[in-house]
Amino acid sequence: MHNKPMDKSKLLAIGDRFRIYILFLVIFIFMSLFAPRFFNSYNLTTILRTVSMNATLALGFSVVMICGHLDLSIGRTATFAAVIALLLQKSVGYGLSVPIAIAAGVLVGLVNGLLVVKVKINSFIVTIGTMTILQGATYTMTGGNSVSLSGSNVFAISDFLSRPLLPMLPPRVILTILFVLLFHFFVTHTQWGRNFYLLGGNKMTAWLAGIHTDAVTVSAFILSSTMAAVGGILFAMESSAATLNMGENSLMYVVSATIIGGTAMSGGKGGVLKSVIAILSLEMLYTGTILFGLGNEVKIFISGLILAFVVLYEAYASYKHERTLGQRSELLKEVAMLKARVPK
Amino acid sequence: MKRQVRMLFLVMVLLVSTAVLFAQGGKATGPSAADAAANLEASLKVDTSVLKAADGQPLLKLSADVPKIPTRPANPEALPDTNPLRWFDMEYAGWDAQKTNIPASPKSGAIGKRITFIVHGDHPWTTACSLGAQKVADAYGIQLKVLSPNWDLAVQNQMIDQAINERPDMLLLIPLDATTAVQQARRVNQAGIPLILFNTLPTAEAMNYAITWTGPDDFGQMRKLARVFADELRARNPGAKELGIAYVQHAPGGSPYFARSYGPVSELAGYAPEVVTLDMQAPGFEADRTMQLVSDWLTRFGPRLKGIFAADDSAQALGIAEALKKAGRADVVVVAAGNSKIGMDMVTDGSLFAITYQTAEGDGALAVQTAADWFNGKELPNRRNLPQHIITKKDVADFYPPQW
Repeated sequence: MHNKPMDKSKLLAIGDRFRIYILFLVIFIFMSLFAPRFFNSYNLTTILRTVSMNATLALGFSVVMICGHLDLSIGRTATFAAVIALLLQKSVGYGLSVPIAIAAGVLVGLVNGLLVVKVKINSFIVTIGTMTILQGATYTMTGGNSVSLSGSNVFAISDFLSRPLLPMLPPRVILTILFVLLFHFFVTHTQWGRNFYLLGGNKMTAWLAGIHTDAVTVSAFILSSTMAAVGGILFAMESSAATLNMGENSLMYVVSATIIGGTAMSGGKGGVLKSVIAILSLEMLYTGTILFGLGNEVKIFISGLILAFVVLYEAYASYKHERTLGQRSELLKEVAMLKARVPK
Repeated sequence: MKRQVRMLFLVMVLLVSTAVLFAQGGKATGPSAADAAANLEASLKVDTSVLKAADGQPLLKLSADVPKIPTRPANPEALPDTNPLRWFDMEYAGWDAQKTNIPASPKSGAIGKRITFIVHGDHPWTTACSLGAQKVADAYGIQLKVLSPNWDLAVQNQMIDQAINERPDMLLLIPLDATTAVQQARRVNQAGIPLILFNTLPTAEAMNYAITWTGPDDFGQMRKLARVFADELRARNPGAKELGIAYVQHAPGGSPYFARSYGPVSELAGYAPEVVTLDMQAPGFEADRTMQLVSDWLTRFGPRLKGIFAADDSAQALGIAEALKKAGRADVVVVAAGNSKIGMDMVTDGSLFAITYQTAEGDGALAVQTAADWFNGKELPNRRNLPQHIITKKDVADFYPPQW
């Protein structure tokens, strides 16, 4: 008698837990069946190549958000690092320019993290500041121009990064997959990684549990900026160019995907893999709109709609959770059933 | 057992159909040219010269100016900004392009061809540009697919890849940026898809991979506007030994940024040496930010500021006019690049002295017409420029209603 409602609630819980995977499958199957020329190796390779940059950015960003913070500087960090890598390539080659650009990313993260934990400034304010400073620094370095490289060596690297080594998997995509697996393992299977969740869930509890909360927070910001730098550099190396606004649109895209993927803005909940799957799902949706011949406005509308739906759902779930806080839901259900049996 | 066999059969059917679908995805499925000769004959008869833009001007009009290309200096970048040859690689990009792997015209006519038209972003100008392209496409029965990446390089790259996936008969592209266009053009070229670049002038290297480039000669147009500007400055300040001006610049990075700043700078250095640049700033395309900038200039330079050269005749021009009105400085000469309704209204009411005729519809139309000409087997130059004209109060009425 009591089994059916239990099963239903279990099913809903599972659905909620795996919602991003379900969304991914639904979009993939729908597009494969109905979007013209969606289901072929060239198109799927294109999708994977396109998501590479934002997926890399989302890895670190998700970690920061799991800790209960925000890093709004990721887009500008990506541009900043890309510009450094390309500008220095002309004199020292990628062998040295890429590590320097990544180091610049690490430095940005370190500054962000220290300002948040030591100066106690809200991460939103800190990273907006960093974003603006990086924008100014990038414009100063380039004199307001885009940076581009040419020549057979540069084009050879660019071609290498974009042409599939394995079916549908160019090196840039393979690297991204490796980063995703590494981050997923780190966050879910190591003590330091699990500390991000503890910290985001309740900072005081984490501190009482003996976690060095400041170090964990700073490390999250360093990871975020480093991955932003890596994403920007790889994109620029494949394009052999960096524009000054290349990371501008990535920020909103990554924020939306991370929220859609189930990472709570309050922290303590979510996952890097889910963020990446969300980015992949949105990308398939965007590709589908292009293949259907729909405009960019439709794409923006759909992603906004999904985001709004997810935020509303999260708000509703949170409201429901708060209502039953400290109460045993199964007892509440029994009370409700008993009430229903009592004749009026 | 029976159930297992049935399941196995189902899985096999699923796998086979998946493989078939997957394999078919990579193949081209364009419309077959059943009779290329008949198509060509019919296509050559299409008369697009009768088409009109929304402003009543002919939709398709080529520049009558014969390009005079000077000899390239050994190192243009070593020259000062005031030397016109400093900008040689931008101004004359593509005229001497070394074409690489350019497909030969099929000479099969333009009727029924599929063209993917990738612009730079959503803007009223783009809407007018796409409308002009559509008018020519309709005349030829061309299937035009318009895509806009909204100024996102990653999205534009993705759209290019999608176009390669769909294998259209031609790709028309407004590169988001002069320098990134090289890799984009190279990619399309390697895929064997005919490419025409338009509107934004890319670097010379990008031109090697495209059939041709069509669009406004921004440098030429700005040089013309600079002369009209200098003439008016002189007329309003007779005998002045110094005429201080400031530039409200375009967004940094693209060709308009350079053409609309250094085109006039290098032109005025020769044509009107008494014109002195007081400042150059790129406040973006928001009226309030431009107003703030101009107000600061008026405080800083006072009566020394005699003129303003703006890169945009809509939001920037509105901001400039507002700041001048607040300061009571009707004496400042303002000119702007562009041909919007706002700009034309401001020319009519006198708050702008001159703007440039930049037909948005004509820009899109010329790109599609050039594609049609290529399908028809016509010889194409390395660049096809739109006509140049400066609009002042004298003839602004001829360009109403505005295109955007």
